[in-house]
Amino acid sequence: MLQVEELEDRKMIKVGIPRALYYYQYYPAWKTFFEKLGAETVVSPPTNKAIFTSGNPRAVAETCLPVKIFFGHVISLADKCDYMFIPAIRSLGEKAYHCSKFLGLPDMVKAVVPECPPILDPEIDLNKGRHNLQKVIYSLGHHFTSDKGKIKKAFEEARKANLAYQKQMSNRAITPVEAIDGTYRSKEETDFALDMSPPLKIAIIGHPYVIYDDYINHRLISRVEAMRARVFTPEMAHQEALDVALAKVVGKPHWSFEVDVIGAGEYYLQAKLDGIISVAVFGCGPDSMMIDIVRHRARELKTPFLHLSLDEHTSEGGLVTRLEAFIDMVKRKERICV
Amino acid sequence: MRVGIPHFGNVYIPVKAIAQKLGASDKELIIPPPTSQRTLDLGVKYSPVEACLPFKLTLGNLIEASELGAEVLVQARGTGICRLGYYSKNQEQILHDLGYNIRFVHLDVSHHKIWSFLKLVKDMTNNAPWHKIIPAGYFGLSKLFALDKVEKVVRKLRAVELEKGKANQIYREAIRAIAGATEGKEVKRVTKEYIEKLNRVLKDPKADPVKVSIVGEIFVVLDPFANMDIELELGKLGVEVKRTMSLSRWVKYSLFLNPLGIDEWKEVHKAAMPYLKRDVGGDGWESVGEKIVHAREGYDGIIHLAPFTCMPEIVAQNIMPSTRENIPVLTVLCDEQMAKPGMITRLEAFVDLLKFRRKRRRI
Repeated sequence: MLQVEELEDRKMIKVGIPRALYYYQYYPAWKTFFEKLGAETVVSPPTNKAIFTSGNPRAVAETCLPVKIFFGHVISLADKCDYMFIPAIRSLGEKAYHCSKFLGLPDMVKAVVPECPPILDPEIDLNKGRHNLQKVIYSLGHHFTSDKGKIKKAFEEARKANLAYQKQMSNRAITPVEAIDGTYRSKEETDFALDMSPPLKIAIIGHPYVIYDDYINHRLISRVEAMRARVFTPEMAHQEALDVALAKVVGKPHWSFEVDVIGAGEYYLQAKLDGIISVAVFGCGPDSMMIDIVRHRARELKTPFLHLSLDEHTSEGGLVTRLEAFIDMVKRKERICV
Repeated sequence: MRVGIPHFGNVYIPVKAIAQKLGASDKELIIPPPTSQRTLDLGVKYSPVEACLPFKLTLGNLIEASELGAEVLVQARGTGICRLGYYSKNQEQILHDLGYNIRFVHLDVSHHKIWSFLKLVKDMTNNAPWHKIIPAGYFGLSKLFALDKVEKVVRKLRAVELEKGKANQIYREAIRAIAGATEGKEVKRVTKEYIEKLNRVLKDPKADPVKVSIVGEIFVVLDPFANMDIELELGKLGVEVKRTMSLSRWVKYSLFLNPLGIDEWKEVHKAAMPYLKRDVGGDGWESVGEKIVHAREGYDGIIHLAPFTCMPEIVAQNIMPSTRENIPVLTVLCDEQMAKPGMITRLEAFVDLLKFRRKRRRI
């Protein structure tokens, strides 16, 4: 009897992390942080139809698809965890801000998913300085332990985990999904080795939560790979190189995600890849402005460019047709015989 | 130097006044023709498809200004979270592609606003001395304040006037008179005269208008072309319109009082706190807060205006239905697809709903 009680006492606090939006960028760091504090993280399953249909009706129609899907992930986790971790990230660099919807995320979830467990919503704004960040991290860690040293250590570990994660992706040229799940193969082992024709090099640029969510983009990466093209995504390049490319085109960034779109676009244009595919969701405010700048650069450098605007009504067939046409065009341009 | 500006409500009147006071000729300040269907068509044609309406409209204005020979274009810039920070980058690229050899100058609307404004005036007038710029700026702003003062009276009057359209007719005359005034004293005199004239308009003694508050994104709230004259249409339906947001208020606080630490939205933000804890860029936080404040003040309904795909307002829109203060909200999204009859139908239905609610409450 005593043993059972002890076990009950030791039952770990469960922190829910929706597999959407920030997940692809920060999951390894968050997991490390919470685990070092003695909590357990619970992640929602990859986006599926049930998740989409539960989140979709809760949001106002104009809301962008990734946010609707985010609500669905929160709903699927609601009864599986004690806390939901939804940070409000305002800024991660000097005067470069996140989109409004990221800032309003915790409050929107509270409004549209009333069954959600208590939300941990630290507001992260690096413009306010290191001291502020420390304070935010301490108050976040306070939910799990009152030992400040432990929180500090957990934060350091999380930072290291994040660096290691980024390095792993850029050094091995793998996607976040492959890095997190550990499911990657070395690229030499893939089918390309068997294929005699030199593969096309295609860059797919956009926000991580669009490129890597197979439900939103209808398995875009594997589709392009199946057309015997080698895919490059923003995460596969070194962060510093992207920053340099971004600074060249627009100077000081205004949004945190600029580097994924303009930075990566410019970087891969300079690298003379065979084609660029940009993926965005309909109604994305920042993208509506940024894509045009990349498109303009692609036209200047005479590189084939395809922009896919996705929403919940995007049909798989239409997407495939456009992709095939684009790849055919690139092949013809490169005079690669198939 | 030929300077072109985009339109934003009546903002061209004070700008013109400042330029004239500083001795600029009509050729040096190019005010594009009033925003029209052509402006919108031009803007839509050359903008990114998913850009918001303010972007498209101001681009249309700037194209029309360039056609008239503008060399330098003024555009607002902010480092907020919304798209505004990107306006000039994209618009400059688009205008260059169209073959106009223009340069952009910026009016910073998020940091050092007063300094940015004065510096802009100084740059645009080839270093006019400060002792000329300051009185000119004062004169321009006095026109802005006068216009808003008259408008405030008109908004109330439209709902209760006996002869429909009279208030608006006087308002139009007042705009012309204020725009034409050449001295500070004249502005004051004309304003007083027209307010008296408005006060003499016969009112319906039995009228008991529904009270509606307009909240939302500043550009579509303040620009009559962008919101299809929604205030006028509401007036025709016998609705008293209240609007906290105005350009003179923005100028008063952002330029002069905010640097002193006075925050005009303090109460509104406090009201929004339980539902939205932080600024989400644009006017999203204010929209949520104003809904709550106005519900407490006993308004009958809220009309929430936002450009289609406006990020901060989508956050507000998602949060608004969950507030405890229950008051009907009609969100009107403004874009180039909007048609006036459709909007009027929606307004009529909304006003009917408000009237029914009022009747039920009284029983």
